[in-house]
Amino acid sequence: MESLNANLLHPRQRVGESMPRWREADGGEALRLAAQDPAAVLATVQDADLRGLGGSGFPVWRKWQAVASEAPRPDKYLVCNGNEDEPGTFKDRLLLEETPHQVIEGALLAALATGINRIVFYINPDLPRSLAALKAALAQWQGSDMLEQASAVLGRPLTMTLVPGSGHYIGGEETAAMEWIEGKFPFPRGKPPYPAQFGIHGCPTLINNIETLANIPAIVRHGADWFRNLGIGHATGSKLYSLSGDVLHPGVYELPMGTTLHDLIFTHGGGLLSGKPLKAVFTGGPSNTLLTPADLDVGLDFESLRERGANLGTGAMIVVSEGTGIVKRVAEYMRFFAHSSCGQCVSCKTGTATLSRLIERIDTGRGTADDLVTIESLCRMLPGSGRCHLVNGVAQLVDSSFRHFRHEYQQALK
Amino acid sequence: MKRGLSLQAALAAYRADSEPAPPPELIDPDALLTAYHPDYLRDGIATLAVGPNTDAHCPRELADLLQAEAYIDEVDLAGVEVTDTDVLVIGGGGAGCAAALAAAERGARVLLATKMRLGDSNTVMAEGGIQAAIEPDDSVQQHLQDTLRAGHHAGDPALVAALVGDGPEVIRWLIRQGMQFDQTASGDLHTRRAGGISAPRIVHCRDYTGLEMMRVLREAVTQHRGIEVWSQAPAVELLSNESGRKCVGAVLGSLDGQKLRIVRARSVILATGGIGRLHLHGFPTSNHLGATGDGLVLAYRMGAKLCDLDSFQYHPTGLVNPPYLSGKLVTEGVRAAGALLLNAEGRRFIDELQPRDVVSAAIIRECREGRGIHPETGGVGVWLDTARLERGQPGLIEQQFPKLLARSRIAGIDPRRDPVLVYPTLHYQNGGAVIDVDGATTVAGLYAAGEVAGGIHGHNRIMGNALLEIISFGRRAGFAAALAEHDRGPKKVTLEHVNQARRALTLAGLPLTRRAPQMLPAYTAPGKDIWKA
Repeated sequence: MESLNANLLHPRQRVGESMPRWREADGGEALRLAAQDPAAVLATVQDADLRGLGGSGFPVWRKWQAVASEAPRPDKYLVCNGNEDEPGTFKDRLLLEETPHQVIEGALLAALATGINRIVFYINPDLPRSLAALKAALAQWQGSDMLEQASAVLGRPLTMTLVPGSGHYIGGEETAAMEWIEGKFPFPRGKPPYPAQFGIHGCPTLINNIETLANIPAIVRHGADWFRNLGIGHATGSKLYSLSGDVLHPGVYELPMGTTLHDLIFTHGGGLLSGKPLKAVFTGGPSNTLLTPADLDVGLDFESLRERGANLGTGAMIVVSEGTGIVKRVAEYMRFFAHSSCGQCVSCKTGTATLSRLIERIDTGRGTADDLVTIESLCRMLPGSGRCHLVNGVAQLVDSSFRHFRHEYQQALK
Repeated sequence: MKRGLSLQAALAAYRADSEPAPPPELIDPDALLTAYHPDYLRDGIATLAVGPNTDAHCPRELADLLQAEAYIDEVDLAGVEVTDTDVLVIGGGGAGCAAALAAAERGARVLLATKMRLGDSNTVMAEGGIQAAIEPDDSVQQHLQDTLRAGHHAGDPALVAALVGDGPEVIRWLIRQGMQFDQTASGDLHTRRAGGISAPRIVHCRDYTGLEMMRVLREAVTQHRGIEVWSQAPAVELLSNESGRKCVGAVLGSLDGQKLRIVRARSVILATGGIGRLHLHGFPTSNHLGATGDGLVLAYRMGAKLCDLDSFQYHPTGLVNPPYLSGKLVTEGVRAAGALLLNAEGRRFIDELQPRDVVSAAIIRECREGRGIHPETGGVGVWLDTARLERGQPGLIEQQFPKLLARSRIAGIDPRRDPVLVYPTLHYQNGGAVIDVDGATTVAGLYAAGEVAGGIHGHNRIMGNALLEIISFGRRAGFAAALAEHDRGPKKVTLEHVNQARRALTLAGLPLTRRAPQMLPAYTAPGKDIWKA
């Protein structure tokens, strides 16, 4: 299948931490091109319509432009966000393990395009293999010609550091990541000011997801048109989908952005386990709206999913067949989110804990009809009450499972 | 099979006062085993296609269960009551009780779930006794060598060393629990010899040692405040964490109703016993009704490595007649006391105190070659000459083998007057889940003790080592499970391992229609899912 693993996960790219092997596969070429005309990188990325692939879908060039237009105070930071921790998402760890140099080159390109001089790789500490691969790869860059050349183009020394994250899920939130890098507990900050204006130590800061950055070198090498044509329809580029749950072949699949849910599950995932009918799909890390069998035809890109009231998120697709109970799954995710709430916003701290307790109660056969009413009103009250999006996602998850599978909740009541 | 004599003709020809010549010398026991032991039957052996023992051979009846689909899916667990405990023990026989007591001794909250009732197990079937090197002219070294040699050196020496080393302490512990043993006139523990061992080492209580052991274990478990017992609660499936590689509890059904229950536990100990009721190769069995290999199935689905799946023990002397008692045991103690085995021609054909596998193979040879005795009700066998034993030592049978006497009375036989017709019966599963000296399987959080565990007996178990094993390794597993560490973070309880097993079955092209564990023999509850109506 030509469309599978066409770009980031192309076998040529998956050379691991060896720099010479990566150089053989055109590694460093994009950096050489960018050194000739650093200003063109931002324009190309804008033309390519690259989106933030960590879940936001926000146009990358706009973040870049915001940072590029700020003056260094005295530094500018790039945070390469590899905190990846939500259930069902396992794409960034694969990129870091198998193509670390592609990620590093992407980060350097982003730095050159926006005038950044400090690059921080911020990685989930519970991914030892990813950490080891990135560390070994970074060691080969220190003192290399390519890094020196990039510093020369920038006009000041470029530094690259590796910072293992806190191990907290909430540490993946962009302002929480900055707090941790400053040496504090990863509490999300209020916004505004946005990181582009006031980030790490008050310096302009750009935060991009690992997968987003990994896309830059190929865009610079092959051009915006090539990248746009990778996608299906109006969608651009390719996407790493983390497929898991009740499918025959779970795993990471790089496919054209906009591939249908049906193709992902049945063509690539081998269909559902033991041939049971599809019941639902938790998308994008589970703090999103559920997809149902009626959505099998939907293209998995940011816009198409938004039209269905759902979200692509990180590209995680947790497939649930008729053999799996929705309540149990939601209870499991709720435990995770309640455990993950940082606790600084009271509504989120108590709201997630209460929702988790209620759903767990229903799941273990002790729930009453009153609990359903409480859950519903919490889902109305909680959204928008926290500094970050955690509580919104939680409410969305519970609310959508309620809308589609209320009968399952009711059956489980005492 | 060539036909031998009818039962009447054989009885008519039998002379209790004749002096049979010594048996012919056994020159090549391996050749005898290869030619006649059921483990070497080519037919009915399957090769496993999935799981940690892929490419291993085992009887088809067992392979069917190891490669079957689970009964339940995640959706069946919605609204199911959850109970939390530290240690969950699955199985209410000797090993399960010993494990539960040991874990509770270490301060753990223990839940013991048993498929039938506490004590419905093969432990109570054990008649002969329990081995421990306690005599002055014996040593644990000799015990070690006997065990390894009888197992054809296939046993794990580390496990055997742990077992035999525990022997004397196990007897002391059992006495402290209140167990009675037969004593000599001077009040020492009375010991017997057994097939394949080098010194008298079998401590016993008449011919119902296991029953007596179970009596005290049951009392101790029932009275212990740290142990809760759930009867008629068969394990339907284990539970795993989100990776599917750590055991975090089990789903229990009920024999009488529709109810499922979830038990979340820090560690799970499988003490589910053996597989006699699968009737491998069509053999009768000495096992109790629940011996359907549930633990092996559950452990295998979760990815635990098993060993010696092609090795089973056929006890030489199972009853043949009447049919409803077919397969019931006549203890090896009878042969240890001096009873001979005679074929239809009234001749001895094997040294009666050879290891069990050799004696069984010899009996099968006699019957297959036309020197067997055929009752009208079906089956075939050879004589176990209890009448001659009684003649030599009057009153011995009544005094030492009351269980044999009681059972024969039901069958309308008097073993003091007539010989007893016997044939090998499926008795013991030599292999099982691979464990270390703490009873830990290859799956985190999952322990195994007793017959469900493997690696100790190699390819043949000697008499008395099973009762020793259930206490020794039951306690070892109980201690280790109680001291296991807690996980941090929110606890996830899933059936991910079932999904993984399902994936493997599909990729191997195997059907998902067969379900396991079996829980009861097919002839007990035909067509009925016993965990839900």
